[in-house]
Amino acid sequence: MTTAVPPAKPPGRLARWWDSDIAFSFRSSPVTVMATLLALLLVLAAVAAPLIAPYDPFDPASLDLSDGFSKPMEPNEITGKVFWLGSDGQGRDIFSAILYGSRISLLVGAASVLFSLVIGVGLGLVAGYVGGRTEALIMRVADIQLSFPAILVALLVFGVARGLIPPALQERATLFVLVAAIGLSNWAQYARTVRGSTLVEKNKVYVDAARLIGLKAWPVMLKHVLPNVAGPVLVIATINLALAVIEEATLSFLGVGMPPTQPSLGTLIRFGQQYLFSGEWWILLFPSLVLVLLALSINLFGDWLRDALNPKLR
Amino acid sequence: MSQPVLSVRDLTVEFVTRRATLRALDKISFDIARGEVLGVVGESGAGKSVTGSAIIGLIDPPGRIAGGEVVLSGERVDNLPPDAMRKVRGKRIGMIFQDPLTSLNPLYRVGEQLIETIQTHTDLNASDARKRAIALLDEVGIPAPERRIDGYPHEFSGGMRQRVVIALALCAEPEFIIADEPTTALDVSVQAQIIALIKRLCKERGTSVMLVTHDMGVIAETADRVAVMYAGRIAEIGPVREVVKQPLHPYAKGLMGAIPSLEGDAERLVQIPGSMPRLSAIPPGCAFNPRCAQVFARCHVERPELIPVGDRKVACHLYDEPGAMGGKAEIAA
Amino acid sequence: MSEAPLIQVRDLRRVFDVSKPWLNRVLENSPRQYLKAVDGVSFDIRKGETFALVGESGSGKSTVARMVVGLLPPSDGTVSIAGVSMNDVNVAQERQRLRRRIQMIFQDPYASLNPRWRVGRIIAEPIRAFQIIDGEADILARVGELLTLVGLHPDDAKKFPHEFSGGQRQRIAIARALASNAEFIVCDEPTSALDVSVQAQILNLMRDLQQKFGLTYLFISHNLAVVRHMATRIGVMYLGRLVEVSEGKSLFSNPRHPYTRMLLDAVPDLAMVGKAREGVKGEIPNPISPPSGCTFHPRCPLVFDRCRVENPPVIDGVACHAVNEGRVAAA
Repeated sequence: MTTAVPPAKPPGRLARWWDSDIAFSFRSSPVTVMATLLALLLVLAAVAAPLIAPYDPFDPASLDLSDGFSKPMEPNEITGKVFWLGSDGQGRDIFSAILYGSRISLLVGAASVLFSLVIGVGLGLVAGYVGGRTEALIMRVADIQLSFPAILVALLVFGVARGLIPPALQERATLFVLVAAIGLSNWAQYARTVRGSTLVEKNKVYVDAARLIGLKAWPVMLKHVLPNVAGPVLVIATINLALAVIEEATLSFLGVGMPPTQPSLGTLIRFGQQYLFSGEWWILLFPSLVLVLLALSINLFGDWLRDALNPKLR
Repeated sequence: MSQPVLSVRDLTVEFVTRRATLRALDKISFDIARGEVLGVVGESGAGKSVTGSAIIGLIDPPGRIAGGEVVLSGERVDNLPPDAMRKVRGKRIGMIFQDPLTSLNPLYRVGEQLIETIQTHTDLNASDARKRAIALLDEVGIPAPERRIDGYPHEFSGGMRQRVVIALALCAEPEFIIADEPTTALDVSVQAQIIALIKRLCKERGTSVMLVTHDMGVIAETADRVAVMYAGRIAEIGPVREVVKQPLHPYAKGLMGAIPSLEGDAERLVQIPGSMPRLSAIPPGCAFNPRCAQVFARCHVERPELIPVGDRKVACHLYDEPGAMGGKAEIAA
Repeated sequence: MSEAPLIQVRDLRRVFDVSKPWLNRVLENSPRQYLKAVDGVSFDIRKGETFALVGESGSGKSTVARMVVGLLPPSDGTVSIAGVSMNDVNVAQERQRLRRRIQMIFQDPYASLNPRWRVGRIIAEPIRAFQIIDGEADILARVGELLTLVGLHPDDAKKFPHEFSGGQRQRIAIARALASNAEFIVCDEPTSALDVSVQAQILNLMRDLQQKFGLTYLFISHNLAVVRHMATRIGVMYLGRLVEVSEGKSLFSNPRHPYTRMLLDAVPDLAMVGKAREGVKGEIPNPISPPSGCTFHPRCPLVFDRCRVENPPVIDGVACHAVNEGRVAAA
């Protein structure tokens, strides 16, 4: 990490960033650097799955049953093909399946975080800024929401959506239902945090100064308050991304998530656990390992971000 | 002259940061005699609070005492181990802070806190300690102390709380008290009462006080001598009347002129251009040189030491050469 | 002096509900509690003068300021600017026109500027909101002009507030207040968070700007010396009421209300080196349950029976039974 040593003068934007306190705190924490690199690697691999994956695991034409149950790094007993991380019963390449699977997991995770963020930040901002009954109503709903386990809420939303959507569309709608289910089970946390920060910010006099020139509530909230409550939201969003990925995996593992035709990491783990005791351990182990590493690395980055943005801990 | 209660010699405090070592206190020296109130004034960043913290050994990392010594009644205290220093604090040095609530635990009755402190520092038994606590509360002017001693801090008004804190500081009969902005959080009318109380107590008990504040008015009324600090150094130190009425150091002159008074008829206040330098950007030579109207070549290169002028000491090159320069300065003053 | 005053404040009141939450009230059987922060305050401010309100904490001076600029609706009473009352204006455009004439400078320069905005955008905000200048280039030029006016550099527009010291931030706040070409500026403790040498710079700047643009100030402060330096006329507040209004320096040479006298006696001042002074009695009572009659009576050396029951009206600039009845030599 000796690349961006600031040049003599004048320091460019990048060099100034590199010298800033936050970049320094990042550099001086090896765990964070490692975690971030790992997370980036996993995300990039997932995004670039079609380019990297040696096989397309979901093209039925390319599957050969005689490739089934190949051990990792060993040539298949019949066909002689080598699968890095082995193959499953249908002869699907586990490595490719993991790449495509994490793609879906991350997509669902990111989309649901965005979904809950928009709802939560919006409601929190309104609750904190408007106050009174609006605030009481929003926050009590959030309290009720928080008193149910997130997974239960997600199951509930999922079940209701299943009942409402015609069966023909269900398979295609699963992704959106999943995003809505996970998103709706997590918005309350954002709402609480944003409401708290908004209560602090709205009493600062720069908000008064904006009101003095006749700005209405919405412009004040969006232009003045929102940028100043964004820090904690960013932290929660990062940590929630890891949680959302796990939540999606849990739902898919329970069989209410992504269908086998578009498997996520959770779906892969569900398949894999059937083979755990019959000796084909790799079908379960590798997807699980990737899930753990993905969640862990994002979490470690989020932890650092929280500390770095919290002036009290510096 | 008898031995001073507190003697500070070349005290230097540094804060080590990633980029640089910042000098918050730069070789400051002063004495406080028995029963004397030394006012320490300065604007934010002058190092007045750091001085107090350094004397009681409460400089937290990344700060450290980088040099000099603190001598309390002939005994050096700046190099004591933390345990021994803890005993000196409270027993021999009392402390009064700006916000009484930081010194009082809201969960305990006022009496419990007083009695606990008394028993830590003396060998009185519980009932004697309680009697002493009541006597102390009475002494600091709390009405009906027998009843009020069982109250909680939140049941006291701001001024009364500060009285309790003063009583707490007096528990172990310290020879020296550090009062850091003791009246800043209080209303004007209460402020006057607390000033009068501090003044009375040190006269009666012969306790020495270091009064740290940004309020020249408070210093003018309370202190015997005053030290004016600027950028971690003492600019001028001397009897309060002289320093307030005829300051010598250009910064002290500017400071006194900048304060609106209840008397006099200044249309415009004296204005010192610029502001106190950050610790990371203290200029070489005299720290005040970029803002000084009487600056000359020497000020840019050589740091002025405190030199005696009459009863006072001034850190300014204007007074160093007894010839033309010094004379000029006297006339200008 | 025959000119109509620019600002007229009439019988201004503000009550805050400081009750505990509903559940606590029911469980603890405690009644609703109200705090009369401002209790019938009236005064005029003439064009081009500095009217100061001085008082200790809880006197309601800041609440008055917030009501005058329209940040807080009064419970009762009116504030009018050049004869037009804020309450009477219902058209949004008219209201904006009134707002444009009033601006405010706040106490804490660290909280009064949005930390995420560049200085240029902060100062330009009123210009845009009131549509004073069109065209980005012209706005930028005006921002530079305003920054120069308050002693900063036009290039400072590109920086963020945290790059400035407290005094410089207060200059930026002043530039923002001037951006709408306001004629009346409410200054709520504008220098009490600043160091004295910086305070002097800001006070001098405010005076210069007043002379240059004929500004009218409502100056709120707890610092009597600062008020004496700045004010043309002074109102002294105690527990939500105006107890004395006086022409500038005569308040200091000839204080009439017993509270004013006490306050003047209490202020630590440079001129007081080595002088003894009279002790001050008591502290400010809890404003939730203020004393009956004249709220100052428990601390007043001139108290008599009438003070305990009857709130004294302001007569000839003083709200005190003893002064009004001539029991004290008003000198």
